[in-house]
Amino acid sequence: MASASDQAGASHCPYCALQCAMTLSAGPEGRPGTVTVSGRMFPTNRGGLCKKGWTSAELLDSPERILHPLIRQPDDTFAEATWPQVLDLIADRLRESRDRFGADSVGVFGGGGLTNEKAYQLGKFARVALGTSRIDYNGRFCMSSAAAAGNRAFGIDRGLPFPVEDLGAANTILLLGSNVAETMPPFIAHLASARAASGLIVVDPRRSATAKLTAEGGGIHIQPTPGSDLALLLGLTHIVIAEGLTDDRFLSDRANGFAALRTSVSSWWPERVQAVTGVPVHQLREVARRLADGKGTYILTGRGVEQHVDGTDTATAAINLALVLGLPGTGRSGYGTLTGQGNGQGGREHGQKCDQLPGYRKITDPDARAHVAAVWGIDPDTLPGPGVPAVELLDELGRPGKVRCLLVHGSNVVVSAPDVAAVRTRLEALDLLVVSDFFFSETASLAHVILPVTQWAEEEGTMTSLEGRVLRRRAVLTPPPGVRSELWIMQELAKRLQSSSTFSASPAEVFDELARASAGGIADYSGLSHHLLDTGIAAYWPYPPATTGTPRLFQERFGHPDGRARIMAVKVRERREPAHLGGTLTLITGRLLEHYQSGTQTRRIAELVTAQPEARLQIHPATAARLRIADNQIVLVENARGRVRATAEISDAIRHDTVFLPFHYAGAQCANLLTESITDPNSAMPEFKRTTVLVRAETEAIR
Amino acid sequence: MSPERPVRVVLIGYGPVGARFVEGMLPAVLAGRVTLTVIGAEPDDAYNRVLLAEYAVGRSSRERLGTTDTEAALQAGAVIRLGESAVSIDRLRQTVRLDTGDRVPYDRLVCATGARANIPTLDGLQKSKRNRLTTLTSAATLDQGAEPLPAGVVALRDLNDANVILAAVHKGSRIVVLGAGVLGMELALALSEQGADVVAVYHGPIPMARNLDEGGGRVLSRAARTAGVVMVPHARAEGVLLRTPDDGPSRFDAILCADGKQIQGDLLVLSCGVSARTELAAGADLRVSAGILVDEELRSWSDPDVFAIGDCAHVLAPDGHPIEVHVTGAPSGLIGPGWRQADWLARKLSGESSDPLPAERSGIVMLKAESIDVVSGGDYTADLWNTESEVTQWLDPARGAYLKMVTSNNVLTGFLAVGLPLVGAELCLLFERGDEPPADRTALLRLDSSESATGSSSDPLAPEATICWCNGVTAQKITDAAESGHHDVECIGKATRAGTGCGSCKGKITEILARATASGNGPPRR
Repeated sequence: MASASDQAGASHCPYCALQCAMTLSAGPEGRPGTVTVSGRMFPTNRGGLCKKGWTSAELLDSPERILHPLIRQPDDTFAEATWPQVLDLIADRLRESRDRFGADSVGVFGGGGLTNEKAYQLGKFARVALGTSRIDYNGRFCMSSAAAAGNRAFGIDRGLPFPVEDLGAANTILLLGSNVAETMPPFIAHLASARAASGLIVVDPRRSATAKLTAEGGGIHIQPTPGSDLALLLGLTHIVIAEGLTDDRFLSDRANGFAALRTSVSSWWPERVQAVTGVPVHQLREVARRLADGKGTYILTGRGVEQHVDGTDTATAAINLALVLGLPGTGRSGYGTLTGQGNGQGGREHGQKCDQLPGYRKITDPDARAHVAAVWGIDPDTLPGPGVPAVELLDELGRPGKVRCLLVHGSNVVVSAPDVAAVRTRLEALDLLVVSDFFFSETASLAHVILPVTQWAEEEGTMTSLEGRVLRRRAVLTPPPGVRSELWIMQELAKRLQSSSTFSASPAEVFDELARASAGGIADYSGLSHHLLDTGIAAYWPYPPATTGTPRLFQERFGHPDGRARIMAVKVRERREPAHLGGTLTLITGRLLEHYQSGTQTRRIAELVTAQPEARLQIHPATAARLRIADNQIVLVENARGRVRATAEISDAIRHDTVFLPFHYAGAQCANLLTESITDPNSAMPEFKRTTVLVRAETEAIR
Repeated sequence: MSPERPVRVVLIGYGPVGARFVEGMLPAVLAGRVTLTVIGAEPDDAYNRVLLAEYAVGRSSRERLGTTDTEAALQAGAVIRLGESAVSIDRLRQTVRLDTGDRVPYDRLVCATGARANIPTLDGLQKSKRNRLTTLTSAATLDQGAEPLPAGVVALRDLNDANVILAAVHKGSRIVVLGAGVLGMELALALSEQGADVVAVYHGPIPMARNLDEGGGRVLSRAARTAGVVMVPHARAEGVLLRTPDDGPSRFDAILCADGKQIQGDLLVLSCGVSARTELAAGADLRVSAGILVDEELRSWSDPDVFAIGDCAHVLAPDGHPIEVHVTGAPSGLIGPGWRQADWLARKLSGESSDPLPAERSGIVMLKAESIDVVSGGDYTADLWNTESEVTQWLDPARGAYLKMVTSNNVLTGFLAVGLPLVGAELCLLFERGDEPPADRTALLRLDSSESATGSSSDPLAPEATICWCNGVTAQKITDAAESGHHDVECIGKATRAGTGCGSCKGKITEILARATASGNGPPRR
């Protein structure tokens, strides 16, 4: 067992859900500028880090750091204020709004980057101290479709229901809509064995960095037109069934609903799928047969297939394919979704979601309400009911009878939400916008009050990685004097609002309370504590007391009461797409290696921003030639919602009917000026990955 | 009629299009707005005829052909009468008479009677041919003619036919397919892929003559020969020779051609096209031509309460077609339009839709075969040098590839692609969406080039190639670091961060270092 001194500084990266292990060493004086980061041996990253991880400490002493609470002045400048001043101001305004317009006039918007402790406390703060139902978070933009699909198929949503290193023994890995080589680069080490067996299959409209890993005999890249993934998956399932490649024993012993699935995919024969997806029949057959070869196959989905109006159904179709092949819960094969944000997993388990209570409980379930209310020491009847999901919540802002005050934590919605121009208008209509951040994010710059909060190396806490493993984040620095933890802020505000429950500012105490609140729930953390985690255990949830956790879910049974997985037949809803004529093209969005999410952090790191300083629109050479767009020329990308100005990057790595923009940039380069706020009916996830745009050169090239 | 009474919808025909219609009607049936009665002549549940060839060659099983959830329909309250045939429609009393003598009343009648296989005019088969002029009472007789086909002769149209072919495959029989349209070629290729001994016999110089031009047809026929199908072009079949073995009835022996050629085999499969089943409609004085004539809302020209969908429906605006004038055109014979019609009509009869049914573009025909990719769509007949449209052609017989595409006003209006799977797939998409193809047509051809699979750079260690994905380090940066004195992987890692992520690029870094060292002995680089 590791000693306490071994663990000092043993933390994890502040960015994505892979949560690479790193050791942080602070200089003797304990101030930023002297913190160094080094990779730490761990099963997920094996001591390696990507460019973002290596440079992460640079932000700790960034000159742009906000070091005092700020209040907007009548002339739209910000003035420094003391903590008692701002807390009193916020509490007064919230109380007033609640008294005049009801508790639901106050909203909370959380983030998938917050620690478990903060995410948990934020949900409690909203329901108990504010009494509002209006809470949701930016995880709605990334994980809600896969979560909904996992819940209905397996009864449990844990991104990877197996440790990530299990992938290392795979012969075949089907990666749908995920560019791990850029989004979580150290992950690609786990693809090595599949690549060596020529079994890495990447589905992406772009020949992304990940798709390039299939070159040189690594596997197959499939390049369907955006938005056709569901048909593709139904087609693969059709072939598996038609060619008798199903695992019939698994289907009879462990899953329900196969008959209806068989009927539903019967109409998706390969030639029909080809006409809809642009993927030739022989590739479909090759992939289906490869998946069924029984030598260890994993199917993994990412945002590329999930961020659609049919994202839940698409993730369900991927799960169905895995089920007919008998992959999940077998120990050597499986299905998983690759969570994106640092605490995208933990953040979706403990009450930031509008319909959820800690432990992945439903807020509409009377037993769940009673259990959680008992932990919180309140009457269950005082708990509000379900609120509204993120896109709807943002649309409610500043509208009569709706949300008038909003608290934002760990989210930069005017860059990351769909149709950001509309979101900006809504935020501007608020009576009060309070943003907790460490930088002037684009959202913070619209705030009435900005609260400066701690960065990752200045706080204790836990994060739950993409594999459902609870990890410790450790403080190696004392935060700057004017900066506070969000736990403390909630404690202070709750006091001022005379909350009926208590709010601790100690992460370890909050974790203990979270553990109790989660006891008996799906995501059960009740056997864990900071102290236990500090011993270095591999804590995969569920982790009830007196157990050693659950590295591999579903080995004996799935999460539904009958222990069986549910195959749910899904259908393609036909949509007539506008013709790609002239400059009309389909826009997809995604990430770059150098940047993370809305770029609030990575756009402030010299090395990263120098490497990728601006939004570049990837466009096929033949399409560019037709539109008379030259490489590195300024192009305008437009639709009814907005206009983006970007630099053309001509590349045959993208389909000729598709263009790609990274979503990390703000201002006129913000890709989400163009995306639409239509959502999946099951998950309320917006459609980021299929937007019709018109592309043209700002000034036409001379020929 | 009281307004509260649910609308009685009767569907004749329970094939894939009928089944799709039933599925679409279930919400209204469950809600009690509609009662639905389905009359299906075949005793089996609806199955996917598109996949019948797969079943016939032994690649699929009966349950994998299932296309509808009859159980769900029954639970919703639909009445499904299988094994009963409609024999007449009384439009005055709005009833359908069945072969059992029952009469089923309707408010709205939907015909999805589909099409039947044509029996060609051949000596030896005359009596099996249908006679359009006689009134017959059974659907089976209508389909099969007055006398059954001789033993050893089938037309692949239903499960029974498929079972006959399947038995022949299992016995290792020699199978003669007469007709090399898309269905005939699919069957011939599937049979040969399953190891059967197959002969494809056809009239003209090329197979799939209705869907391919000479270039495409010749590439296909070469590919089919390579796949093991004996291709017999220019064969004008005139008769069927039967032999009578000692132990049973006479059965197929050979096809006799006009030039005297005899093509021997154990089983003859007729694949000579299909015709819409229109007798029921014609008998009720509904106007028919090549199909039951319906307007753009799928409503019969002759009766506002009667509709037709799928292979039996000929959709055409009625204006300008006086009764005495022959109507041209025909049902498309494709499943896609049939399904769209079924979906739309179900919404309409459920009272949900007021949107017009989108007009169908002429469809895409795709050959289902493992050994060759063939796809065509629209009008591809334009001459290469015509001035109205733009034509692009690529012909490479040695490698079995052929492409022709026609664009008008920058939109793809017709295409053919043989042996070019990625191009074919892409053209389907372009055509379906009405897209503008890349101005550089070779961009399409490059989709099927070997280079596109691996990226344009063939050298994985080329200077601009990314070596370390985790840290975005190119080969050039590593070379530069090596040249400035970093000589092992660890030093390179410290200098550039290459190899300090997942570590999977360390091998490549070693290679680059080796190259740099080697070139260090020669003249300085760059």
